[in-house]
Amino acid sequence: MTHYLQIWLASARYSVTRTLMFRFDFFLWATVELFWMSVNLLLISVIYAHTTSIAGWTKYEMLLLVGTSLLVQRFLMGFFWSSIFEMGRNIRSGHFDYFLAQPGNILFMASTRKVDLDGLANSLVAMGVVAYAAHKLGLHPSAWDLVAYALMIVCGLAIHYSMLVLSISLAFWITSAQGMEGIYFTLSEFSRLPREAFKGLASLAFVWLLPVVVVSNAPARTLLHGIEPRWVLALVAAASLWLSAAIFVFNRGLKRYSSASS
Amino acid sequence: MFASLTKYRHAFLLGLQSNLVYRANFAVRGFFSLFHLTVVFILWGAAYAGSPSIGGFSFGQTLTYFLVMLVMQFFVGAFNEDYQISEEIRNGLINQFLLKPINYFLYRFSIFVAARLVTGVLILLPLLVAVPLLHDYLTLPHDLWRIALGVPAMALSAVIQFSIAYCFGMLTFWFLDIQGFVILSMAVESILGGQMFPLDLLPAGVFRVAQFLPFYYQTYFPVAILTGRIHDIAVVWQGLGIQLGWVLLLLGLNQILWTRGLRRHTAVGG
Repeated sequence: MTHYLQIWLASARYSVTRTLMFRFDFFLWATVELFWMSVNLLLISVIYAHTTSIAGWTKYEMLLLVGTSLLVQRFLMGFFWSSIFEMGRNIRSGHFDYFLAQPGNILFMASTRKVDLDGLANSLVAMGVVAYAAHKLGLHPSAWDLVAYALMIVCGLAIHYSMLVLSISLAFWITSAQGMEGIYFTLSEFSRLPREAFKGLASLAFVWLLPVVVVSNAPARTLLHGIEPRWVLALVAAASLWLSAAIFVFNRGLKRYSSASS
Repeated sequence: MFASLTKYRHAFLLGLQSNLVYRANFAVRGFFSLFHLTVVFILWGAAYAGSPSIGGFSFGQTLTYFLVMLVMQFFVGAFNEDYQISEEIRNGLINQFLLKPINYFLYRFSIFVAARLVTGVLILLPLLVAVPLLHDYLTLPHDLWRIALGVPAMALSAVIQFSIAYCFGMLTFWFLDIQGFVILSMAVESILGGQMFPLDLLPAGVFRVAQFLPFYYQTYFPVAILTGRIHDIAVVWQGLGIQLGWVLLLLGLNQILWTRGLRRHTAVGG
């Protein structure tokens, strides 16, 4: 475990040095992410200028939900996005050989190689959105609520990570397919919607089969209504299940990997 | 004149062939756009549950707006033309156009038209699934003038979208990587082009300012004509005038960027 922590810290140090070398890139990408977060917040603001409730959620409750969803996504962008995105490209091009020769778990080595400081900088903005919404709602969560919220964010991150690894692992089977990460972005759109808005088939698909809705709704509900063991358990179970599935599919895919001709 | 047309007809046919190779990718993209439509349906359905009319429009009208926008984008939207142009500049592939009597803008535009023909036809497949499911909600006005003016607005919107993508492609002469600029611009376009919400829901002052920006004409304007969000035909004529103005301005900008960019371009290799 300490061995992996040391590897990760070395990668993080390298990423920080790199960011300091390419400062314009850092500012540009931080602005890109900030703009896209603003797009989502603006959508909420415009809808609530014309209505008072979306599936029983008030404006600031919805802001708390969207902020939570953005927080999980920013962590994913900061800690894993670049590495996993490159993983797909490397599998297709045959450059993935480099990771097979490294002294550690292949998925860990390939998916934690880079840390993006722009994503992490914007996670502070997302936290600000959550804190602002909580303040407007007059919420005073207990220390335990905050611990549960943090735990659920970690579980949400594990689920998003798994979904992204699963989409990218398709490259082991369909080497000609590009833009598979688009699947992840499409699915993550659902995580900004309240659970109560899903009915019938949509509820079955996006609440139960794909846990995209639970990822954001469970932590947001913890801040709004206190710890609900049912939601905590659902999220921990979904995170374990999806992470296991991602590791399984990645390893199965790895067996098919046959490098590539130049 | 005729010889010139033949030249770009060949570019168009070439574009048709190369885009048909990626038909599976486009079909998957079309299929996934149905997920986006599902998000729209759930979010706006929940918003309308509390109020039967938002901004003076029913849920059906708003849903129709998003569906028409989605379909229109497959016919006129610039997908990855900016990256393709950028790639050709970076790899030195544009060098061949510098020595031949062919206009690079028109060459790329011919390929763009071919690509949209392929994606436009392919979006009709997922549409066959979506329309029967949403049939009860969809409501399109039947005025003929809407089609007569909406279709030219769509054509001008295609030129605007392609020109903006072309401008970003040209930035490669100055910057190594244009991805950041493109994604940043996509965020602005998605808001001010009305892709996230119908622009008429913005506060009146902001909406008025948006009407003078090119983004309004790249997506919102043609869709608003076709789906009845613009009531007054005089407003449409006025809009077409501004849209044409933006087309000319962007075409001029394209030309300036191309000429100035070429001064910085270094053609290496053979």
